[in-house]
Amino acid sequence: MANIAAKRIKREFKEVMKSEEVAGGTIKLELVNDSWTELQGEIAGPPDTPYEGGTFLLEIKVPETYPFNPPKIRFMTKIWHPNVSSVTGAICLDILKDQWAAALTLRTVLLSIQALLSAAEPNDPQDAVVAKQYREDIQLFNLTARHWTNAYAGGPTVIWEFNQKVQVLQDMGVDEDQARVALSTFDWGLERATEHLFS
Amino acid sequence: MGFEIKRFQGDVDEELICPICSGVLEDPLQAPACEHAFCRACITEWISRQPTCPVDRQAVTASQLRPVPRILRNLLSRLCTSCDNAPHGCNAVLKLDSLASHLVECEYNPKRPMPCEAGCGLVIPKDELAEHNCVRELRALIATHQGKLNDYEQELAEQRLVINEHKRELALLKEFMRAMRLSNPSMRALADQMEREEVVRWANSLARARVTRWGGMISTPDDVLQMMIKRSLSESGCPPHIIDDLMENCHERRWPPGLSSLETRQNNRRLYEKYVCKRVPGKQAVLVLHCDNTHVDEHMMVEPGLVMIFAHGIE
Ligand SMILES: [Zn+2]
Ligand SMILES: [Zn+2]
Ligand SMILES: [Zn+2]
Ligand SMILES: [Zn+2]
Repeated sequence: MANIAAKRIKREFKEVMKSEEVAGGTIKLELVNDSWTELQGEIAGPPDTPYEGGTFLLEIKVPETYPFNPPKIRFMTKIWHPNVSSVTGAICLDILKDQWAAALTLRTVLLSIQALLSAAEPNDPQDAVVAKQYREDIQLFNLTARHWTNAYAGGPTVIWEFNQKVQVLQDMGVDEDQARVALSTFDWGLERATEHLFS
Repeated sequence: MGFEIKRFQGDVDEELICPICSGVLEDPLQAPACEHAFCRACITEWISRQPTCPVDRQAVTASQLRPVPRILRNLLSRLCTSCDNAPHGCNAVLKLDSLASHLVECEYNPKRPMPCEAGCGLVIPKDELAEHNCVRELRALIATHQGKLNDYEQELAEQRLVINEHKRELALLKEFMRAMRLSNPSMRALADQMEREEVVRWANSLARARVTRWGGMISTPDDVLQMMIKRSLSESGCPPHIIDDLMENCHERRWPPGLSSLETRQNNRRLYEKYVCKRVPGKQAVLVLHCDNTHVDEHMMVEPGLVMIFAHGIE
């Protein structure tokens, strides 16, 4: 790994460790390997959002050319959000793309991702299905996001109706994740989700 | 790329840290409007990718970057740092502005060039001295030189081939020119002109000669002497179309009336000083070329010139 990238990441790692967010438990950062090329981030779902109470893991890959190019970051924890792919966890965030600036750090990037959970950008979606729901039925979106937070990120709010519908499909032999994606996509219409899965 | 921050004594002010490499600013430049400062190498690299300030994304181009203010430079130069060679045992603590000059002479530099004292005379990095073996190094040197020599020899052989090729072409061209000249009068005039110019060029390339003893003139040189003079003329670049005529004119039987007998020569002795003489390189002989001596009376001159051979007395 290029000297400058390793030097920066070491310093930024320390910066995150000393930060008030770590002290307050809203972000975390861990090393995945010794070469400082891969880290794992963790952000707490912000209060007053459907993600509240959930813990979201992030995969952080540091390119050889860091900080001249941004780190590659994706959600490892499944999440229902217009700017995150519900399939791959890929994030649509300008500072991770063409608005990257070399002075940004892992701390500022993690905080930006956290802020994205508080304020979605449905007009610049990563996941068109989620964005459509967000625009057309914000209440259903909030419930769905809360359900996903409960199912994957350890969030506290259980939505029994959704759990039951997932269970119905599971009983028909559908994989749990697939069942949840299908139901979320078809606004929790069991019939259409079933049709889609078995067509 | 900036200096490792751990090398500095005490805390370093945030303002002296490059936001790109997170080291202490090295050869810093700043953006014009926001005045954010970066190492020259770091900001140059960034701007080559994206023409913005890496901190606030304001538009900046490479040509807009400015040196940082003196106060910032002074703050930087006063920072105390350890030597680059601290891991190799150097304990020096230096002001940042004297680091560069220290590094040049730092004794702990593992790459410092040292002459081998075992006798091979090679200069090698200090850290390779322990492993150094004169015979092995010299053998390697010989091998590289041998390789180069082989390359040169091959190149020489190739060049020779090319030259021979050119010579053949030149001969062919000359032959062609000769034929053209015979068949076309205006061509002949042109060729004659070129030949005359060639003679003048050659004449100008020869050194002036001074005859100190005109009495040493050999007016009837034998064949051996003539051959020697001819070879020397040829080597000096004498145009081939006049060399035979010139050599004919080295004997009194072909000399002009004013020189053709002992008697006429005695009578005209005082005219000798008018001659502009050129040296026949390495020989006791002079050339009195017609083109150099247009001022001389006709009865003392012939075309294309005279060759006078002496026993001695040429300077
Ligand atoms: Zn700036
Ligand atoms: Zn720098
Ligand atoms: Zn030193
Ligand atoms: Zn030696």
